[in-house]
Amino acid sequence: MKKQFAWLLAAMMAVLVVGCASQKGPAEQALAGAQSALSAVADQAQKYVPDQYQAVQAQITSAQDAFNKGDYKGVLAAVPAITAAISSLKDAAAAKAADAEAALSKAKDAWSSVSTDVPKMVEAIQSRVDMLSKSHHLPANVSKDTLSSAKSGLDSLKSTWNDATAAATSGDYTGAMAKAQAVKDKAAEIMKSLGMSS
Amino acid sequence: MADDKTPAADNPYTQTYVVQSGDTLSKIAQKFYGDPALYHQIFQANQDVLKDPNKIFPGQKLKIP
Repeated sequence: MKKQFAWLLAAMMAVLVVGCASQKGPAEQALAGAQSALSAVADQAQKYVPDQYQAVQAQITSAQDAFNKGDYKGVLAAVPAITAAISSLKDAAAAKAADAEAALSKAKDAWSSVSTDVPKMVEAIQSRVDMLSKSHHLPANVSKDTLSSAKSGLDSLKSTWNDATAAATSGDYTGAMAKAQAVKDKAAEIMKSLGMSS
Repeated sequence: MADDKTPAADNPYTQTYVVQSGDTLSKIAQKFYGDPALYHQIFQANQDVLKDPNKIFPGQKLKIP
């Protein structure tokens, strides 16, 4: 009886081992497929949805650990969820990329307008500052302090405008527009202080 | 004529002023610059509409550089 039980146990162990071994190939294949799918979207995902990318990467690492421990069944059970997560990651990255592209296009258009506008504002202010600097007396609505502040503000405008132009030249139209808007706001403020706007 | 070469030409941000009855370029220079002696700068910026600094007329729109 004891012998028979030992044989039965050995047979069951053999079936289990063979069964597990038969899952190794599919598990390896499924894991490789998931890794390959993640690699295909890695660049865009890391750029636009880095947190979501890290989460999927962690899922794959976990499945790889399971594989290394021989838990092929666990790997096969985990892969469908990983595949779904990669699909979701791909969609999210593509949507963010499209948003970024649209924002860039909008900033480019805005830059096209502002890049002719702002130099004219600066030119008009420079002209008025030059005139007031020649004047022996200032008009009633402009004090010496106001003129002095306008002069330093003008220098600051030119510097920020140079930064904006450099950003646009390097392709950073969003950054360029942020700086250009700051220049426009400051220019409008100086023009008002010099009585140039009604 | 150098009028189109002045910074004020074609610049939408250059201030403008509509001449009123009794105005002279000196008075306008006094108003905007605090110094009537700078009237000539206004004349120079407006040579497209002014031929003589002593002849300005109500309703004329002048650029104030």
